[in-house]
Parts: sequence; C-alpha cells; structure tokens
Amino acid sequence: MKAPEDILRLINFCKTIQRADTDPFDLDVKRFLTILSEYVRRWKSIDDLMLDAEAISELTKVIELQCKWIKDRSASFYIDPALVEFKLKLMEPAQLASAFFKAWHPIVSLDRITPERLKQGLDYWNALPPLSERKSAFGAASTPETGTLKLDDLIALHILSQTEFQEQIQQVLNELEARGRTEYYDFVYGDSFEDSVRKAYLTSYIVSEGKAELDIEPLEEKIFIYPRNGSRGQSGGSGGEDEDEDEEYPGEKRSIPIAISYEDWERWSKRREQGQSEQSGR
Amino acid sequence: MEQEERARAERAERKVKKAAQLLLFRRHRTPGVKAWELKKALGDDYMEIIEILNSILLKLGMEVRRISEGEKSDNERFVVVLKDLMTDKASGLRIDDVAILSASLAYIISKQGKASRKSVEDFLAEKFPRRRVIRALERYIVQGYLREDENLLYIGWRTRVEVDSKTLMDLILTS
Repeated sequence: MKAPEDILRLINFCKTIQRADTDPFDLDVKRFLTILSEYVRRWKSIDDLMLDAEAISELTKVIELQCKWIKDRSASFYIDPALVEFKLKLMEPAQLASAFFKAWHPIVSLDRITPERLKQGLDYWNALPPLSERKSAFGAASTPETGTLKLDDLIALHILSQTEFQEQIQQVLNELEARGRTEYYDFVYGDSFEDSVRKAYLTSYIVSEGKAELDIEPLEEKIFIYPRNGSRGQSGGSGGEDEDEDEEYPGEKRSIPIAISYEDWERWSKRREQGQSEQSGR
Repeated sequence: MEQEERARAERAERKVKKAAQLLLFRRHRTPGVKAWELKKALGDDYMEIIEILNSILLKLGMEVRRISEGEKSDNERFVVVLKDLMTDKASGLRIDDVAILSASLAYIISKQGKASRKSVEDFLAEKFPRRRVIRALERYIVQGYLREDENLLYIGWRTRVEVDSKTLMDLILTS
C-alpha cells in the first residue's frame, strides 16, 4: 500500500515541532490517533507497519514535549508578564514591600567573635611589625600625579611620532585641497568607521591649525569644509557669510564640536551605496 | 545498658548543639554550611542530627533548608531560615529598597526567570531615581538575591532559599 499523504504530513509536523521548538499543543493528539486508527485495518505490508510505528513514535515524542511544557510552565508560575507589569506599576512601594515581607523567610545568620578567634587576632597583632618597618621592606607606594597628556607629551614618550603624525595631517590636507569645498561628513566618512574616526581626528588638527575652514549652514543643518587657501565658493552657497564672520570675529577662535557616531556613519554608508547603485543604473 | 543509652543521648545532644552553632553563626562570607563540612564536624549520621535540630527549630519558628548547588550531595548547602516572619522589621532595609527588590523579583519571575538588566532598570526607573535603582540592583546581586550574567538578570540563590515566589506573585496579582 502506498504511504498515505496525511500520515506522512503528520509525521513531518511532529518532527517540525521537535526541531523548531514550537508549541507542542499545536498538534491535535486525538485527531492524530483517529487518522491512524482509520488506516490500521488497511495496513498489509511490513512497510505499512513500519510507517504506523514511526507515526506512533513521533506522536509519543510530542506528547513528552507537551508534558515538559506543562511542567515548565507550572514550575515557573507562568503568569502574563504584561499583567504583572501593570500590577507592579499600580502598587505603592509600601504595598510591594508588604507583599515581599509576607513571602520572605530570611536566613538566620549571626556574626560572633569567639575567644579562640580573639586569641588568633592578638597573636597576629603581636607578630605584625610596625607599619614603618613594613613600608621600608616593601618600599613606599608612590601616588602618581594626575594630569593631561598633550600631543607633545605623547611624542616625547615615543607613543606617537612627529613625522608620522605630520605626514598623516598633510595627506588629509592634500586630499581636501584636491576635493575643494565639500560637505564635512562626506569628507571624513570613509569605508570603515575606524578610518572615519581617525580622519575626523586629523581633520580637527588641520582646522585648528588654520589650514582649513568650516562653513556651518544651520538652516540646512550642513557643515562644509574647505582648504584655507583653496576655493571655498566652489559649490556656491555660503561663501560670503564666512568672510563676514571673519570680519566680525577678528582673531577670535571658536571651538566647534562635531559629533560622529557609528549609527550616523552607517546611515551615510547606506546613502552612498544607494547613490552609487542609482548612478550605475543609469 | 542504661548508661550506654544515656551516653548516646548525651553524644547526640552535643552534636545537635554543635550543628546549631555551625548553622546559626556565619563561618564564611556566604551564609550556610556545606554538607561535607557538616559531615566532617558531625560524622556520617549528620542528616539525622540535622533532622533533630530541625524539629527543635520548628518549634521556634525556624527551619533548616537545603540548597542544591550541583549534582553531588556533598555540594549541598544547609541554612536556617525563619519559617514564619512575625515582624516586618527583620532587616535594616529601607522600604524603598525592599520595594525595588520585590518589584525586580516579580518582574523577572513573570519573564520566565530572566530579563535584560536594562529592561529591569527602565521599569524600576519609572518610580525610583535611576542611580538608586542601579545601586540597589548591585547590592542585591552581591547579596545573592539576583544573579547577573551577560547583561541578563536572573533569580539568585538567596531568593530561591528565602522567598516563596508563588506567595509573592499571588499577593501582587491579588493586590
């Protein structure tokens, strides 16, 4: 006899429940047994009986899962979390504390000192050399002075190299000069977030040293960067405003914090990818 | 014969006193005594001694509880707990701190025994200042009421010993 499709489907369903860890009560056991009993008289070959045995075996595994599910739920006092949250929000701290005290059986544990322990303490005291002797034996602990390390200090400590650092700044400056006036984030963001952070750090130096300028357009919420001796009006826009600013604040230095974040960099990367795919589509 | 009987009773009494001192006075940072320590101090029949002690403590509203810490019976720990709490003031805890513990436990129990630390903090921060919540959670983790693992909070060993979770949840739901 050809294997009936509904039996095969039920066996597969049982296996899915076991594999996917879904609710074992999705299987209707009564219906399963009814279907099996319909076929039981028609089984003839050994293969038919094997299929019947497999179906029963898979069914028992699901029943075992149902049993475990009930045990787990009852052991962990299954309650709707939303209901508990709602109740907890409504309760006053005093009510919560009162409920806790009614369910609380604190451990009885006392600290005490025994004559034996007191004697041990005394022996220890007698055997302990004075603090001044112990200090000289181990050397006095020095308290390091706190302070801030500047770039020059890092170079002096050979953590950074002056030449290498200057070369990196020069590279960024060369790139800026080649690109001209460009949006700040388009300039500093690159293929990886790490590189972007490094470039933003180096860019801050070229701006601080006066080798580059920033144009902030508050209405458009955009920041442009351009080389000091380069063409700021390349893309038009706010060139004139900055000159006015220079006249307004002659010699005054301003600190402009610009935030970069991983999430922002990700958004920028996606926008760039979309732009590239649109261009290649054309 | 009678002397032997009396000697045995005296030995048992001494062992019960020793068991009471071992269990009631803290010897380690964590309260309780390991099964192997009791066996070493009281002998192979330590469970019989514990049962006698338990029957005495029950009359005083206390009982010996066994905490399983692994498959081996030697890893079990024994503690004495108050069976019936007759007073609300059994600790120096502030009512706010008890409320934080109570709400945290109920929240975690309702989430099948584990919840992200952030979700617990956010939930508690609706009623208490966040700094206070963080401090209280840290304290309860140290005390063993809660357990933290990879930013998830679980019910700690001490809650399993000291708190009747079912009663707590019933009281909260019927409030």
